[in-house]
Amino acid sequence: MRLMVDLNRCQGYGQCVFLAPEVFSLHGEEALLYDAAPDEGQIERVRRAAAACPVQAILVEEGPRAGLDTEADRDRA
Amino acid sequence: MTTETLLRRITDYGNRADPYPLYEELRATPVARQEDGTRLVGTYREILHLLHDPRISSDLRNRRHRERAAPDDEDDQGLPPAFLKLDPPAHDRMRRLFMRHFGPPHSPRRVSALGEELPGIITGLVDGLAGRNRIDVVDDFAYPFPVTVICRLLGVPREDEPRFHVWADAVVASIDPGPEENPGERRRAGQQAKAEMGLYMSGLMADRRGSPRDDMLSGLVNDDIADSGVEPVELVTNSVLLFVAGHETTVNLIANGMLTLLRNPEVLADLRAAPAAMPQAVEELLRFEPPVHMLTQRTPLTDVEIAGVVIPEGVPLSLVLASGNRDPQRFTDPDRFDPWRPDNQHLGFGGGVHGCFGAPLARLEAQLALTELIRRLDSPRLAADPPEYRRNPVLRGPRRLLVDFDGMRP
Repeated sequence: MRLMVDLNRCQGYGQCVFLAPEVFSLHGEEALLYDAAPDEGQIERVRRAAAACPVQAILVEEGPRAGLDTEADRDRA
Repeated sequence: MTTETLLRRITDYGNRADPYPLYEELRATPVARQEDGTRLVGTYREILHLLHDPRISSDLRNRRHRERAAPDDEDDQGLPPAFLKLDPPAHDRMRRLFMRHFGPPHSPRRVSALGEELPGIITGLVDGLAGRNRIDVVDDFAYPFPVTVICRLLGVPREDEPRFHVWADAVVASIDPGPEENPGERRRAGQQAKAEMGLYMSGLMADRRGSPRDDMLSGLVNDDIADSGVEPVELVTNSVLLFVAGHETTVNLIANGMLTLLRNPEVLADLRAAPAAMPQAVEELLRFEPPVHMLTQRTPLTDVEIAGVVIPEGVPLSLVLASGNRDPQRFTDPDRFDPWRPDNQHLGFGGGVHGCFGAPLARLEAQLALTELIRRLDSPRLAADPPEYRRNPVLRGPRRLLVDFDGMRP
């Protein structure tokens, strides 16, 4: 699993930090820190965090090869 | 009919099962002035603007006296208002103090850790229904579950439920904006209930002063608030707010959720087969059938122009979130329940500085509860549709949700 947060969209609602505290954290009250390649055991929580983001700033790619160049990506390109 | 009577028609109990045609009518007028002077706003874009506009107050003391049509606008027996009814900076001080014990950055694991306990609570409740072929989703599950959770979170003894159930009912009835059944009497009863709850909550806090347990009341009462500008009595009023809000809203999210899934059997089957999609399904429920239909306590601090219309200073302003959630200018095919809807920035939890405090907990509760209910009930179907609704048009949801089923899966 790989994830990316669009920090231009992020408004600091912090919903992801509640739902997946091992992956997302707040530095101070607003700045968001996150683990871009979290442990697979966190997948359920990361899904919940991504769905809960009020501005939908979290992009999750699932699977062990996520983020690598896949056939589908090459087809689209 | 004229748009001036919309609020009256929305609050009319006869329209509780399906207020959505009224909301469609509302969206045709960006700011709909009502007979009593209240302005209703029901379009997505305008609601979103007003939620984030610092000139829009949540403090009812800013209403012009003759237009104080609010249902809950008198002093609460000398108690200070909770942060729901305050503006920044007082609101921020208090909300931040409570957030210290609920979420990040100070308590980032509280909700997540509580989440670990939820499946056990759910299983216990569902197991208790074995042997039956009909349940009332509200009384048998959607009410007792969030009550148990909020009790656990705050540190309120679950066995006191018979006492606080009565108080919570009175508080909820007091925020019903409907004109029927003597609103003055309801208001007094609501204030009385809040005062009694405050006393009860103070007792629980006193027990925890100096001997903390693993709950929010312990954290609050042992926190150093000397420099925070927050008075100890405010810890009590806000704890009462969280306690009431923590179950009176989630009950609707779960009950509305079951109702909506049973009305959409293909979606229910998909979610049973792929429970990983439940988080998105709950977001769609928050759009499609939100637990809170409108925010009735806003007041402009100055004349505010929106969509070419001036909302005058001091008038009652209501933001109809459930209408904004069905605005076709924002959502494609808005009357369709579609958990796979992209870009679902619903207004189900409000927004801006007063955005729902308990949202992350409510989400978890609804996701886990609905996943387990549809997994375990065999061939569930509605015994009555529409169900009997609660009276309240603001905190809208079924009073009873009778569901028949063939048996309980292990």
